[in-house]
Amino acid sequence: MRSSLKMRVICMLLSLFMLIVPVVAGGSTESKAAASSGPVHIKIATWTSNPDQIALLQSFVDEFAAKEGIEINAEFESIEFGEYNTKLSLELQGSQAPDVFWVLETSAPAFIASGLLAPLDEALAEYNPEDFSAKAMELWQNGGTTYAVPFSTSPFFMIYNADLFAAAGIETPDQLAAEGNWNWDTFRAASKAIKDATGVWGYQTVDGGGYDVRILHNLCPIIRSYGGDAWTNDGQILINSPESAEAVQLFHDMVYVDGSVVPPGDQSDFFSGAAAMTAAQVSRVSKLSDVDFAWGVAPMPAGPMGDVPVTGQAGIGAYSKGPNVEIAKKLVAYMTNEECVARMAGIWPPARYSVLESPDFLTSQPLLTADQMAAAVGGSIETGRVLPSHVMYPQIEVESRIVWDRLWNPNADVQAVLDGVAEVYAKYIK
Amino acid sequence: MRKKRSKLERGEALTGYLFILPQMAGFLILVLVPLIMVFTYSFESRNLLFGNMGFTGLDNYKTLIEDDLFFMTLKNTIIFSLGVVPLNLVLSLALALYLGANAAGAKVVRSVIFLPVITSGVAWAIVFTYLFQGGEAGPINYLLAQIGITGPNWLHEKGWAMFAVVVSRVLKNLGTNVLIFMGAVMNLPQDVLEAGRIDGATKPILFWKIKLPLLMPSILMVMIVTVIGSMRVFDTIKLMTDGGPEGSTMVLVYYIYHQAFRTFNIGYASTIAVVLFFIVLLLTILQWALRRRASYYED
Amino acid sequence: MKTKAVKSIIYYIIVALIVVVFIYPFWWMVTNSLNSINEIFGKPTLLPKSWMWHNYIEIFQVQPFARHYLNTIIVALLGTGGNVLISALSGYAFARLRFPGRSALFVLLLTALMMPIEVTIVPMYFMMNSIGANDTLVPLILIPVFCSQGAFSAFLLRQHFITVPKELEEAARLDGLRPAGIFFRIMLPISVPVLSSAAILAFLSVWNMYLEPLVFVSSINKFTLPLSLANFNDTYGLPQWNLQLAATTLSVIPVMTFYLIFQTKISNAMVTSGMK
Repeated sequence: MRSSLKMRVICMLLSLFMLIVPVVAGGSTESKAAASSGPVHIKIATWTSNPDQIALLQSFVDEFAAKEGIEINAEFESIEFGEYNTKLSLELQGSQAPDVFWVLETSAPAFIASGLLAPLDEALAEYNPEDFSAKAMELWQNGGTTYAVPFSTSPFFMIYNADLFAAAGIETPDQLAAEGNWNWDTFRAASKAIKDATGVWGYQTVDGGGYDVRILHNLCPIIRSYGGDAWTNDGQILINSPESAEAVQLFHDMVYVDGSVVPPGDQSDFFSGAAAMTAAQVSRVSKLSDVDFAWGVAPMPAGPMGDVPVTGQAGIGAYSKGPNVEIAKKLVAYMTNEECVARMAGIWPPARYSVLESPDFLTSQPLLTADQMAAAVGGSIETGRVLPSHVMYPQIEVESRIVWDRLWNPNADVQAVLDGVAEVYAKYIK
Repeated sequence: MRKKRSKLERGEALTGYLFILPQMAGFLILVLVPLIMVFTYSFESRNLLFGNMGFTGLDNYKTLIEDDLFFMTLKNTIIFSLGVVPLNLVLSLALALYLGANAAGAKVVRSVIFLPVITSGVAWAIVFTYLFQGGEAGPINYLLAQIGITGPNWLHEKGWAMFAVVVSRVLKNLGTNVLIFMGAVMNLPQDVLEAGRIDGATKPILFWKIKLPLLMPSILMVMIVTVIGSMRVFDTIKLMTDGGPEGSTMVLVYYIYHQAFRTFNIGYASTIAVVLFFIVLLLTILQWALRRRASYYED
Repeated sequence: MKTKAVKSIIYYIIVALIVVVFIYPFWWMVTNSLNSINEIFGKPTLLPKSWMWHNYIEIFQVQPFARHYLNTIIVALLGTGGNVLISALSGYAFARLRFPGRSALFVLLLTALMMPIEVTIVPMYFMMNSIGANDTLVPLILIPVFCSQGAFSAFLLRQHFITVPKELEEAARLDGLRPAGIFFRIMLPISVPVLSSAAILAFLSVWNMYLEPLVFVSSINKFTLPLSLANFNDTYGLPQWNLQLAATTLSVIPVMTFYLIFQTKISNAMVTSGMK
């Protein structure tokens, strides 16, 4: 008698366990049920976690909903930049897939080819195609169809710590630029002068990632202004060309001969005052609002080929298999229309002529003066080129990283390393 | 009477099945089925973004044989194990023997040595990433600088990175093995040791000829458990070196992760997983064989 | 006499050295969790320079850290509880109840013991996906209950139940107890030490899980502590070092306190893990 009672207790415990599990799972089922009636649930994946930026995006969603006369319950998901592609790709396999998501420039071809991005032409029908820089759209189209819209076409420029330049008693980058003397050689000299005079690092690579995750962001501006490139869209591999090698040698010398660049593994950060210069984009400017030093901006240094600006792009697209794909497509179109783009311009400069040419654009980033914005950002958007990309970019990135790593020691043979990188590229780029 | 007994037996069997049901059901769904699936995937061209592109037979295995990266990770895994296992075993055995169970200070050592074991692997790896900072900012290099040594850029120099990863991993798991060895040392037959002492055995002889052979079964056992554990290292690698520099700390498990979730080659990742499966299987069979022999001696 | 003194001095030096090696990482972690970012990478000091208690408030602002803590506790409790409960049942059945196919099934179960989750994580991801369990805590609870750690507990408990004297059961049977009754009224109460060993080991394995949440969980509200700790980065991937250390400290201290209180029990549990 008692034992059967115990039996029942154990069965209850077991079933309780099985019950709790779905309860813990919770959340997701609720939201799905809600989707069928009442507000539409739209999940938007981004790699920013900045509350102001999310709030801006949220306001677009609200306006879009009001305009369409529907109720939208938007969920923003911020994924860490380094894990973005992994997490996003995993989510796109299942019921947790975002309806709208940001796309990294380097993975654009892979995402387009995979069919995970919905074609947007219909939703973008009311756009004036003339307003877009064709160059900026190139990456996001395939066979004449647009799969995502670049909401950010943001050139790289230099931010510097004016206090450290004053302490070292040397000319600042924008003074040099005004004199027409701002090139990679004077950049290198300034970096070394600061390190020698103050003991503070002269230069930090973009987001401190120049040796690993942002290696091409770091090297391409130098390489291209020397007349080299990583590879070209028509399949030429130029990373081991003499021009590229000369450029990479310059950076390598800065790290290992001059010792003026924050070296691999060192966590010194420009924004906490531990480096005098860093490459950045407009979106990073907001980090300057609470620094305790005077700062300024300048374009990227020029090379033998003159000014060759490099832009970083980010696109936004709709998930092709989502339950609300039609709304998602319209939302993407709305978020990248002229008005919204103008409001984002101070964080993410657009590739729209109407916005770029409007007087408001130059004052759209409150921390930058119109002159600064014009000098550092302005013209570069139209003339700048994005980084090379490829359908197999993830593979290329992982495999070439292993070879690139050889560069980061004092005795590295730059040409030999670049030949090795070229060999990896050649496996995928034809 | 007989009938009643068989009814009882039937009841017992029924209870038995009922008792193992949850475990076996879970086992079936969460262990056996995925294992079969991983074998199937390894014969397919599967991609996370592009989906399943069909059965490709042995293609993935052909790729594997020609994949220099795979052999590099295999080599790295072996180097890692060769670093971790002997260091761990020698240190933990030495500590267990040297400290003795009741020596003063032994209790304190036992406690502190165990703190990393109960710390999550991620937390431990995070702290060691800082401790191994290059330049003079890192505490370890700072300490070395005090005695006139310029420390390397640990996590960013080939060779040193593996060393740093091994050290942090050994320190993390040492406590478990020390405890196990302490238990084994305590269970050594005192009469045998006493007899050895009376026969005038010196300390080294006592250790090499008597204690060590007696401890051998436990040592072998602990060794294999540590080897299998070292094949599975993930958090330390991901957080401390991300497989670099030059891929020198890219181990099998991390390569699986890379292939599956960074470059999205699900099929190929499964092929590597199959290899890992057979390695662990081999080690386990070895372990069971040794266990059988060990218990044979005990009897 | 003299050599003895020298020997004991050496002994204590070694003891002190070990203590320093193992305490220093924790000391450094706590100290720098109260520093500003720049101080962390300055000269190491033994005490915090600016005592930034604010770090400990900020970690709750930049991430739902409390939620992550709660998730971890839920996973740990359900994972550990489920593990012990289910493996006690099967462990007892495999040890003491006679039914056809017993040893074959047990050997089969043991294959789970050796199966690293790394081997099957890819198909498991798709499996969880097809039942909609991805981005929930469910896989994180199921894995410690049924995979390697579950099989280990079953093995541990079976070995234990085998050693319980048969007379106990015979007496109970004569008193009219059925197998289930014997299990709950006799076996479980006398097995509390082994059960807690299994529980402690299961808890530690859940506590250490990193690859599993990394793969199965994506939205920030479902993160567990290890994911959370690795996620203290600003928008562009630069780690927020001081916050990361404060959060790490908060994740380490409670378990450490728990350990220091129940030290002996936990040590004993670890000794039994050598059987794995």
